[in-house]
Amino acid sequence: MSSTEQGTSSAAPAEPTTAPESAAAPEVPESFYYVHGKDKVVHKVSAGALQHSALIHGMISNLGYTEEQAKANPFPFENIDGDILQMVVDWCNQHKGKPTPPEDTNLPKQKEKLFDLVLAVNYLEIKELLTYCCKQVAMMVKGKSPEEIREIWMIPTDAEDEAAEKEAKKRAGKEAAGETAAAAGDAK
Amino acid sequence: MTSIIEMPELVMEKIIEFSDFKAVLTLRQVCRNFRNFIDDLEDSKLPDSKFEQLEIISECNTKKIMLKFMDPNFVFYRIEYSASEKSRKFQEKTTKLDNSNIVDVAIRDLELILKFQKYNFQVLTLSFDDCQLQNKLSNTLGQRIKARSLSITVHHQSQVLPMLQFADPDTLKFLDLHWVDINLEIGVDEIVKTDHWRKAMEFSCDFQLLNLKAEDVCHFSSISLRTNSFDARDLDTLKKTFLNFFKLEYWYFDLKNFNEIDELSNLWGPPFMSGLSRTWYFRIKDSEERILQIEILSHRHPMFKEYCATYFYLIETGDVPEGTVVYDYDEN
Repeated sequence: MSSTEQGTSSAAPAEPTTAPESAAAPEVPESFYYVHGKDKVVHKVSAGALQHSALIHGMISNLGYTEEQAKANPFPFENIDGDILQMVVDWCNQHKGKPTPPEDTNLPKQKEKLFDLVLAVNYLEIKELLTYCCKQVAMMVKGKSPEEIREIWMIPTDAEDEAAEKEAKKRAGKEAAGETAAAAGDAK
Repeated sequence: MTSIIEMPELVMEKIIEFSDFKAVLTLRQVCRNFRNFIDDLEDSKLPDSKFEQLEIISECNTKKIMLKFMDPNFVFYRIEYSASEKSRKFQEKTTKLDNSNIVDVAIRDLELILKFQKYNFQVLTLSFDDCQLQNKLSNTLGQRIKARSLSITVHHQSQVLPMLQFADPDTLKFLDLHWVDINLEIGVDEIVKTDHWRKAMEFSCDFQLLNLKAEDVCHFSSISLRTNSFDARDLDTLKKTFLNFFKLEYWYFDLKNFNEIDELSNLWGPPFMSGLSRTWYFRIKDSEERILQIEILSHRHPMFKEYCATYFYLIETGDVPEGTVVYDYDEN
């Protein structure tokens, strides 16, 4: 992924409309930053690709790191799984400096991954990718019945939910009673 | 694993944004978290239901309420509420409404669906033959329904004014009143004062309107009505309006007790006579091509119902029968 960046130095002229602070940024040699997720695997990403993330873009725009400084200080995203961060980085690289297409068919189809991706993308504030992901989530349940949706998203019914809550309360009550009984026993 | 329930609000809002109306209604039924979230959402963040027609009907004899919706593909959706069966039926699915009043349930459903209506309905049709739904709707419906055309089936004179209030006058172009009882007669004194009457461009009514004045209807471009209160002077006022107001398309009046053909001849000149019809032709202001034709078809026969049908419409100059007099435009 990141190794392909070197050859495409003309890409990613900073768009002044989306990035007013970095209007003077597109110096000829492209700058790179480093990010890692929960798995600590470091990804080297160009500033142009990172522009998709409003969060990271805000962090780097006033930093003025040298290449060495950037390498020494990778951005840690401990709340994002390594494979999810990899997906995000890949997407940013693929769409670097390009107008984003109206649909993106390369998003993960498994719901577990998709939801994790949604959370990561929302956190990193990648507007277009969030839009694609939310469209994909909406598509998952289009034309489905409430029962099917519950199954797809593994949501309990209200009755089950209430029963689980009651059960939890009961258990908490019992534990509390056990504790008081134990305390009473201690007092004796 | 991450659950959909853990999604931040902004993400859920976006998911709703990309779902269609039916999917959002289904999501509401998935769990109370979704239901509460969707119900608390601003209307502008909900997808458009895109319905073009809405019909609200209450039937006293069957103790039923019906909500009917039509989408742009002419597909109808019907929700039926039955008081005797205490149930709601939508398509093939029947839900028992054990302790709920069906009127309350129907109004709640209606309000929910209206939250998704982004554009004006083409047609809103109302027919209430018991006052429970009408009264409750008057008290609870938080908004006026925006529709281009309002069609009301009138069971009783007192219904017209409160039923008009369900529609937003600002979007109204066409007002249509129907009878249930052919002998219904309704005084218009209060109706003509409403914004609905004043703002509508077209008007149609198939029962007898009492105390109607020519001035009350002059602003409509298209009219079809029955009244007993027009005389020759009124028809003359209408003629002058038609000659000066180019947007007019077609007027039809079924005039009860009208027997002033002679007075009209004195005012307008002799008509062209053919069988039961009397026709006058008038040049209109600044137009060589078009002529106003006023035709009165009157029928008096002891065996049949008496009628006097009066038509105002524009014809091409070439369509005037040969040998007939076309009266010149007269400002006064």
